[in-house]
Amino acid sequence: MLFNLPVFIHLYERLNSRNDGRCRTSNPIHYVFQTDQSPSSLEPNRASRRAMSSAATTPPSVDKVDGFSRKSVRKAKQKRSQSSSQFRSQGKPIELTPLPLLKDVPAPEQPELFLKKLQQCCTVFDFMDTLSDLKMKEYKRSTLNELVDYVTVSRGYLTEQAYPEVVKMVSYNIFRTLPPSDSNEFDPEEDEPTLEASWPHLQLVYEFFIRFLESQEFQPSIAKKYIDQKFVLQLLELFDSEDPRERDYLKTVLHRIYGKFLGLRAFIRKQINNIFLRFVYETEHFNGVAELLEILGSIINGFALPLKAEHKQFLVKVLIPLHTVRSLSLFHAQLAYCIVQFLEKDPALTEPVIRGLLKFWPKTCSQKEVMYLGELEEILDVIEPTQFVKIQEPLFKQISRCVSSPHFQVAERALYYWNNEYIMSLIEENSSVILPIMFASLYRISKEHWNPAIVALVYNVLKAFMEMNSTLFDELTATYKSDRQREKKKEKEREELWKKLGDLELKRGLRSDGIIPT
Amino acid sequence: MCTNSSCSKRLARMQDLQDLDNETCWLVKELKSYIAQEADFLPRETGLNIMESAAEVGIAIPVTQFYILYLPFSSVLMCYFDVLLWCLTFIFQNHNGVSAKCRNAKVEDLWSLASFFGFSTQTFVLAVNLLDRFLAIMKVQPKHVPCIGVSCLHIAAKMVEDECNISPTHELIRISQSKFTVSDLSRMEKIISEKLNLELKAITALTFLHLYHAVIVSLTSERGEIPSIERLEAQLKACLCQLIFSKAKPSVLALSVITQEFDALQSLAMLEIVQELQRHLKIVDSELLYWRGLVAKCMTEYSSSECNKPDNKKLVWIVSRRTAQNLHANHFSVPELPTIPEGSWDESESEDSCEDMSCEEDSLCGSPGSDAEGAFFPSEFCNQGRK
Repeated sequence: MLFNLPVFIHLYERLNSRNDGRCRTSNPIHYVFQTDQSPSSLEPNRASRRAMSSAATTPPSVDKVDGFSRKSVRKAKQKRSQSSSQFRSQGKPIELTPLPLLKDVPAPEQPELFLKKLQQCCTVFDFMDTLSDLKMKEYKRSTLNELVDYVTVSRGYLTEQAYPEVVKMVSYNIFRTLPPSDSNEFDPEEDEPTLEASWPHLQLVYEFFIRFLESQEFQPSIAKKYIDQKFVLQLLELFDSEDPRERDYLKTVLHRIYGKFLGLRAFIRKQINNIFLRFVYETEHFNGVAELLEILGSIINGFALPLKAEHKQFLVKVLIPLHTVRSLSLFHAQLAYCIVQFLEKDPALTEPVIRGLLKFWPKTCSQKEVMYLGELEEILDVIEPTQFVKIQEPLFKQISRCVSSPHFQVAERALYYWNNEYIMSLIEENSSVILPIMFASLYRISKEHWNPAIVALVYNVLKAFMEMNSTLFDELTATYKSDRQREKKKEKEREELWKKLGDLELKRGLRSDGIIPT
Repeated sequence: MCTNSSCSKRLARMQDLQDLDNETCWLVKELKSYIAQEADFLPRETGLNIMESAAEVGIAIPVTQFYILYLPFSSVLMCYFDVLLWCLTFIFQNHNGVSAKCRNAKVEDLWSLASFFGFSTQTFVLAVNLLDRFLAIMKVQPKHVPCIGVSCLHIAAKMVEDECNISPTHELIRISQSKFTVSDLSRMEKIISEKLNLELKAITALTFLHLYHAVIVSLTSERGEIPSIERLEAQLKACLCQLIFSKAKPSVLALSVITQEFDALQSLAMLEIVQELQRHLKIVDSELLYWRGLVAKCMTEYSSSECNKPDNKKLVWIVSRRTAQNLHANHFSVPELPTIPEGSWDESESEDSCEDMSCEEDSLCGSPGSDAEGAFFPSEFCNQGRK
């Protein structure tokens, strides 16, 4: 209806030959909006016009042909870099007295100049206003650049007074309230992220901080007075930033802090736990899960054996439930890596992990199912044979369900396990248990699946089983066939019974008074 | 087991053909007539000998024929390997004629196919029979054997199975991962039919197996002791996978399989019945003994618990483009962050937050790391930790 109405109005206008000098585009919809402004001549259509005008809130575009504006077009119009909310002293331009370059100053004066420059960099500029304070912004940028180089190369510059100044400068620049995302519309998988406006400065601040932490002169014992739990907490909150570049830097920063400050490690782990638990059970919104998992991967890699109970708890209570989240595809690779690392450290964890995965197996989301199958294959790649025997039954029951899934990608991915040599060797050793579980569904889909490629893969799998254990295979074929025949016989008997009842009913109806009851 | 010995006595007195019931009588007559005809369906012995002696000069290049569609690099690589392999096999194999190993591998393929499509044992046995007879009289190049095998199977299926059970030829070709076309297949079928002057019902070892089984069933009341016909069929199929058994006369082969099974079951009464049968059908003792030995060896291999390693290398795993992309994406690289080793000392050096940690940890007040400060270590934690 919406489609025809504009055309109709357009024709009506032409008939009335309103020529008001406005440029007429060939787009009828455009025309409609313009006629809104002179209502007098469009009496019959006033109601519909009102409906149109209330519906039209965005400026007309060529894409709005069918009445639905495409989401991407809408987003493109709204795309802008966001800056975080900062208090701005309105109007007053910022003035910084230019300081001499560090390399131009003799060595004894350098530490003091260094501190002064740090203090200067504490001033924060507003990047939303692209025209304000351009000269000062450039000055700060070059100062930051200079500081980055200075920290990388120099020796003997890091006095005790420098630490608090550095931390203060970094805090002032990076700690801010992140702007709210358009949470309903932002789909992490599809849309472009909104980027940070003040990135030119922010990037240099992060760069500087990382080099500061990695510097040879850096002493954690002094720094830990200033890089404390409050600092770390604020740092972790920043991981929710939408800008992936920022998250990347934060990842490196947190990784270095975790490495150097042993006293903060337990705290960091606990806070990450909290973030994940909140993410899984409360909000399902956090942008930095992948980065945090990457850090955790390097931590898990370094776990000492035997594993502490705290870490095992973390695996079972946090990492496994993390699989249930809808946006799993964003961080699945990192999550799978963490899980596999855990299992390489302590193979006894295999059973709870696989049972956990089977418990949370996706029932309606096929994309997730394919991811789970990928992860499972990686787990099986490193599994120990004794552990395999413990979980083979529930595992292959699930695989046999996946194999007979009507979604061809799921079935294909599951059947592809038989191309993995290590998995094949495990299956071979336990074929007497596995073959009966898989047989019925494999045989059935070889006859019934709609996708011919799947049927071809099933042939490969059945052939592999046949060569593995011919006697058992023949036995199962024989029982399957006899079962099917029995079923067919029962079906036939049932059909005949119904037919007989039908005839009986007919005969009874005819006998009573010649009229067949309905 | 007096009933059984009386049965065998009854057979012994069969000269009169009076004491036996009609059914057994008829069965034995059938057997005798089939034995007279079976020589027509035997593959030529000289041909079989040639096959056995043909050396398998194959190059075992373990190239995994694993094609990933739509990934240009790997498919180019695979094509390169393929060309190399093809050249080498062409040079070495195609001048030799079909070897026993080649034929055996093909028969196993036929077994898989027949099983996959749900064909009966009779189809399979007939197909093997046709294959052997054809290979024994014609010198063929090994590269044609797949086509010949599938054609034999198709002919056998058409003879034995119901119309509805036979899948279309292109399906047969696709599943067997063969490289020839439907027209190739029909041409080959015509050639085979001509060369073998096909008659509708070839007499194979399976026919004899069924008849023997029927005789034994009718002669004995101890049904429980008799192995099922399916089990015997499976054993016969396993035997047919080896070329050597094609040299045996079908009647003798079937009897050997049965005797072997009774031997394994240690049922002496059954063996007596078999002996009487043998006498009636005038099967030579030495022959039977010879084939029994070979069958016994084959059966030990068949039912051994050690699995033959499946030869995945011959199978092509074709996956769809999306799954292939998925597979490659999943090989994620090791993350760039270096590993942070966990300290050998306990984390209870941190100023707080220990209260949430699990109690089983044996927290020691010991060996602080290089960065820990003794003054920061409250003594209450030491006491709390020790249990």
